[in-house]
Amino acid sequence: MKHPMNSAAAICGLGVTAMGRVYRDAEDLAAEAVYLAIEDAGLKKSDVDGLLINAGVSNAVSIPLHVTLGMQELNVLTFMQGYGSSAGQMIQYAAMAVANGLANYIVCVFADDPLQEGQRTGAAYVGAGRRSAMGSLYPLYGFAGALPMYALAAQRHMDLYGTTQEHFAEIAIGQRKWAAMNPAATKREPLDLAGYNASPWVVQPFHVLDCCLVSNGGVAVIVTTAERARDLKQPPVYLRGFAQAHGHDAGRSDKDAAIHTPAARSAPKALAMADAKLADVTQCQIYDCYTYTVIATLEDYGFCKKGEGGPFVADGKLGPGGALPTNTGGGELSSYYMWGMTPIAEAVIQGRGQGGQRQAKNELILVSGNGGVLNYHSTLALSPRAA
Amino acid sequence: MPEARPWLPEPDSSNRPYFEGAQHGKLRLQQCSDCKDWMFPVRKRCQTCGSTHLQWADACGRGTVYSHALLRREYHPRHAGRLPLVMAQVDLDEGVRVNSNLVDVDPAKVEVGMKVVVTFEHSPTGEAIAVFKPA
Repeated sequence: MKHPMNSAAAICGLGVTAMGRVYRDAEDLAAEAVYLAIEDAGLKKSDVDGLLINAGVSNAVSIPLHVTLGMQELNVLTFMQGYGSSAGQMIQYAAMAVANGLANYIVCVFADDPLQEGQRTGAAYVGAGRRSAMGSLYPLYGFAGALPMYALAAQRHMDLYGTTQEHFAEIAIGQRKWAAMNPAATKREPLDLAGYNASPWVVQPFHVLDCCLVSNGGVAVIVTTAERARDLKQPPVYLRGFAQAHGHDAGRSDKDAAIHTPAARSAPKALAMADAKLADVTQCQIYDCYTYTVIATLEDYGFCKKGEGGPFVADGKLGPGGALPTNTGGGELSSYYMWGMTPIAEAVIQGRGQGGQRQAKNELILVSGNGGVLNYHSTLALSPRAA
Repeated sequence: MPEARPWLPEPDSSNRPYFEGAQHGKLRLQQCSDCKDWMFPVRKRCQTCGSTHLQWADACGRGTVYSHALLRREYHPRHAGRLPLVMAQVDLDEGVRVNSNLVDVDPAKVEVGMKVVVTFEHSPTGEAIAVFKPA
């Protein structure tokens, strides 16, 4: 029997601002993204009756956004935070709300402004305000921000399974090939293994090019019922299935948190709702804060056995012309970093068939969101066809 | 030479036992008096049974490398002249996973599963910092 949420809701609007060194504040970028999404959907502002808000590392967008937007008659309004899993979560809650009549058109918006003039690129992510003596131990040891923890996770995968630096390079290089076909991508110049190896180390095994970009920008997505979406300007992208899985405490040794992530519980639930199998998936948009995250997620999603992710990606199957097109806009590594909105925005473009030169088979698009250090996970299964 | 500055702010009541332990060459963790579970960093309530009866106790100081990496960019006075600094997550025998550094080891020989033991390094102002060396 079809799950009641399978194809009950659809994404009908997408707004993406300029990305990168856009020195504007996050709230204004959020507002612009919302207006762009409303225009994209062919709606009027007064049609929108729900607003879900998520802020990035600068944490500079919250409930007052509705005042900035002049939205005074909303039926749904909240701020949400699940780190990199938030964007996928917002769409899930929006889908359940529209399907149950709480609201008709819910805008889900994310914006961030970590880049400030005169500051180092990663400054906002290194973390400020470590006031306690205990918290101050971490930078002494070199543990500032999430990056080192992902580097250690990647190294464990290398030690346990023989995953190589070239496997990580394959992710970075393959996604750069996609980015070359995406006019909105920040980094479009060609990248080869020599270029990857020449990229400076940050925390080995990660070069700079194993790490996502840092971007200012905003992305908004509008969710409505499948019925309403059919009558709008854009081709609907149906939400066929979705799920979440969360957990892991990095301070306890009872879980192999670097290797076995909540993605393994999330994807099967999302596919079950979609009444689909992994083999039905025609493309992936995988949260790629680091190259290793893609390998860990593909393994946990079941595309290959645990530990075989390196050889799995080594034949270029994720890149243009490959068997499993993945991160077709260049991903967070090469296009822009809007946390979980990066994979979702590209999935919407692909789901509509608007990918142009980079359009891949879009029958079933699996989208991941990943937050913390592989702690928090959301999965969406999207399709241009309703079940 | 500029005067050496402390690496850490003053401990507070919540974490003072940890730093006093370090000064005496002991790695201290909180332990639940009820379910005996160990935890780190500082908690007010046992993560396992919810008890508020937590006390600081000496850990045995032995553990296993869960993973490791090499710091290649310095951004703290302690890193100066020490790159690549070996970073590690160590699974203590008590069931707690801590972030630290490995010392007295060839960075190329570090691997997952290596047995390590705690040792203490002192800052220019005398603060004791827990690090690990091969057992």
